[in-house]
Amino acid sequence: MTGTLLLKDRVALVTGGGSGLGLGMATAMARHGAAVVLACRRPETGEAAAAALRDTGYDARCVRCDVTSTEDLEAAVASTVTTHGRLDCLVHNAVAPPGPPGPVEEVDLDRWEALVATSLRAVFDGARAAYPYLRAAGGSMVLMTSASGIEGSASLPAYAMVKAAQRTLAKGLAVEWGPVGIRVNCIAPLGLTGALSAACEANPVLEERLVRRTPLGRLGDPVEDVGPAAVFLASDLARYVTGQTLVVDGGGFLGL
Amino acid sequence: MEPTAGEVRTLLIGDDPLTEGLHEGLVVQGHIVATVATRPSGDRETLAAAVDAAVALLGRTDLVVHVPRRPMDPVSLVDQATADWVAACEAPMAEALAVVRACRPHLGSGSRLAWVVPTVALGGAAGFAGAAAAAEGIRSLAKGAARQWGSEGIGTAVLAVSPEVAFGPDAGGPLVATTTLADSALARPGHPVYDLAPILSLLADPASAALTGATLVADGGVWMSP
Repeated sequence: MTGTLLLKDRVALVTGGGSGLGLGMATAMARHGAAVVLACRRPETGEAAAAALRDTGYDARCVRCDVTSTEDLEAAVASTVTTHGRLDCLVHNAVAPPGPPGPVEEVDLDRWEALVATSLRAVFDGARAAYPYLRAAGGSMVLMTSASGIEGSASLPAYAMVKAAQRTLAKGLAVEWGPVGIRVNCIAPLGLTGALSAACEANPVLEERLVRRTPLGRLGDPVEDVGPAAVFLASDLARYVTGQTLVVDGGGFLGL
Repeated sequence: MEPTAGEVRTLLIGDDPLTEGLHEGLVVQGHIVATVATRPSGDRETLAAAVDAAVALLGRTDLVVHVPRRPMDPVSLVDQATADWVAACEAPMAEALAVVRACRPHLGSGSRLAWVVPTVALGGAAGFAGAAAAAEGIRSLAKGAARQWGSEGIGTAVLAVSPEVAFGPDAGGPLVATTTLADSALARPGHPVYDLAPILSLLADPASAALTGATLVADGGVWMSP
């Protein structure tokens, strides 16, 4: 990494950080000097990802964390602060799989509860656990929303619901926490993660359709395209940005 | 009284003063209204049974209006217990999904399902972060349902009302002052009977059929975007 390190001496905790967008953002933040802690439900995945980052010279470690557990989230925050002495940014990226498309009146109750547990309750628990440390650091929180939450989704309405809720939750927290110097923002990404790659392999029409509606003509790379958005929002460059959604999707959604 | 074929038959789902005001206003508009009260402990099956019974009384449903539960007192997120959070955020969204499930069999071409939520869905709100998040989730639900049901002629909509109407003047008044830049153009938040029910009545009119999935903001002219 050459040039200015935007996150030098900063510490970031990334849920769902062992793969996909979470790892992409953590990698980008590490490149900019942050010590990153990957909070992962499957520690074997997170350990390997953290080791790979360390092998490249970055400061990275993994903590086992099931975000549906209040205790796990509290422990992940505590472990981060114990190890690094501070917490500057909490990126909440973990989310349960949206499940198969289906009629809105037949949304599976278990699927719904999993989406709520990972995308909303986990934000509530994580925010409460991280609050004193983010306040002490003048830090920030980043939530991952989706353009589907803003547009409404014919295929995944329950997923879109929780993503929409996250976006307004970020606004509410931004208003509550602004006076104590904590910023809260959202990223609405279109990133070619492992899950999306698998979905595209299973349904070749999907990738073609996604690319066709993306003015930049490609799906985003988690590290190179989405990661910088997290770096920016966690850095002092965004010191006057809060309550906002940064849509990082190659121009696919233009409705904000 | 037996409803005549030309009367709008409206199922109203909620359990608070706003719901009561809308009931009165819809009756003034000439609707035949049946109200199903929601209960904090109500499960999907109980709600579905109540909806079935109400629709049986109405004969058909032209308009369903759901007023989701919401907290009436502001509590900052870090001061909330999990139960507070669930009541503010998770329960209203689950209730909205339960309403969709219960009402879908009774919705046919030309009918509409509408929700009434506070405008804090659009901008968030200190002390009501969970409730605002839930309201925005429900707005997304209305859009998704509109996209799925449009080909069958079934519409959805959201009516976004002032925090003073949704949360009451004690909590809503200060909230308005801290969450928006603009004063109300009409200098009043909107009355459920005389201002809000007529808009819901418009949504039951076939003339509004092309409007679906949209949010109508009826807060006296505070929010004017887009």
